[in-house]
Amino acid sequence: MKLGLDAYAHLKSPIHRWEPRCKLVGLMGLIFVFSGVQALGLLPGMVGVAIALYIISQLPLSFLLRRLRYPGFFLFGAIALLPFISGNTVIWQFGVLTLRQEGCLAVILIAARFFSILTVALIAFGTATFSTSLKAMRGLGLPQVLADMMLLSYRYIEEFGDLFHRMKIAMRLRGFQVNKLSYRNLRMLAFLTGTLLVRSYERSERVYQAMRLRGYGEFRQRNGFQQQVRRGDIFALGVVLIVAVGFVFVEVFL
Amino acid sequence: MHIPDGILPPAVTIGGYAMTGAVTWFSLRRIDRQPHPQANIPKASLLTAAFFVASSIHVPLPPVASVHLVLNGLLGAVLGYYAFPAILVGLFFQAVMFQHGGLSTLGVNAILMGVPALIAGYIFRLRRFLGSENKLWTGVLGFLAGAVAVGLAASIFFALIITNLPGDINVQAERMAIYALMLAHLPLMAIEGAFVAMVALFLQQVKPEMLKG
Repeated sequence: MKLGLDAYAHLKSPIHRWEPRCKLVGLMGLIFVFSGVQALGLLPGMVGVAIALYIISQLPLSFLLRRLRYPGFFLFGAIALLPFISGNTVIWQFGVLTLRQEGCLAVILIAARFFSILTVALIAFGTATFSTSLKAMRGLGLPQVLADMMLLSYRYIEEFGDLFHRMKIAMRLRGFQVNKLSYRNLRMLAFLTGTLLVRSYERSERVYQAMRLRGYGEFRQRNGFQQQVRRGDIFALGVVLIVAVGFVFVEVFL
Repeated sequence: MHIPDGILPPAVTIGGYAMTGAVTWFSLRRIDRQPHPQANIPKASLLTAAFFVASSIHVPLPPVASVHLVLNGLLGAVLGYYAFPAILVGLFFQAVMFQHGGLSTLGVNAILMGVPALIAGYIFRLRRFLGSENKLWTGVLGFLAGAVAVGLAASIFFALIITNLPGDINVQAERMAIYALMLAHLPLMAIEGAFVAMVALFLQQVKPEMLKG
């Protein structure tokens, strides 16, 4: 299981250099504003802003396309029927198949919002290492328990993924194949899951002991994020927030 | 069972974040009241990672090719109050690493998966009164925890998706679609319930202290 989210965190684009807390606040603000866009006239602007930010971030196009594929299929499955069932204005009819204008517009609206939000989210978390983003979230007030859980889970997901993969190969080598739903197959999969949980539980006890030896829980951890906020960071945050407020203004008043 | 970005209106996504904040606060308060809250953080974190990995298991279900298990009921049964923060963390990872779900819908997804997990945790904890050593009750309550959690999550998921799709869909058609999708999920509830019961019985035999959460 390869996560690879921060594979391009080493690049030197202006967005990579943007102070992580300012970046998260600005881009998350933009994400929420994009999720509220209803006016069709705003869609080209929204997609344009997302593409412009992606170009500035210098992340490769393949990175975006690879990550659009799976959720894109899921979204298509969720909204594919809309043009045929939603709305009253018929624009094309063939037998029982009726294409409706309102449904088509709804699909365009959802797809544009989905693309823009996903692109901005990739920029937010793909332009810094995960630990940097986590520290920034901690600096923005994420509770200590959640920050610790995120860091530890992230550290072990890949390792447990590999362990799980090896366990499945071992089962296959012993002749186990999940080709049909049966009591025996379900029971074997439950044992596989149970074994993974027991192994991770036992591992966690050793991890906790090691953490205790290093002083975990003895001192109140500071949430201090060391990186200085420069004038340029504030300026970039201001620009992004002005763009976000602009979308809200146009949406509400025009 | 993740709602992707772009489907829900901002009132719902922001409401989801507000509710997630409240339920997280409630869970963290209950965790703070436990005897050694910090000792359980590594356990909850590593189990979160394990659940994240285990949720990739696919079960063949004719005529559909296969279904993947949700496991929020099992999370509730094993992690107790840690289940909600664990689901929040897991969903965040899924949103930023695999783009399953989304960042704008993270709050809503956490509610639709996490609250049923907490309810499943309460159901499974009835073992304390019915006999925590009793295999029959472990199996029955494990089944109920798994089935109820996935059933509730599916109900909230479909209700949110269908009632918030833009465009005009007939109210009667909306209701029919929700009922039909719920009926289609009954086999999944049965499979998930049986799976959670089997894992719970396995853990009771191999590592019973894991079921005390």
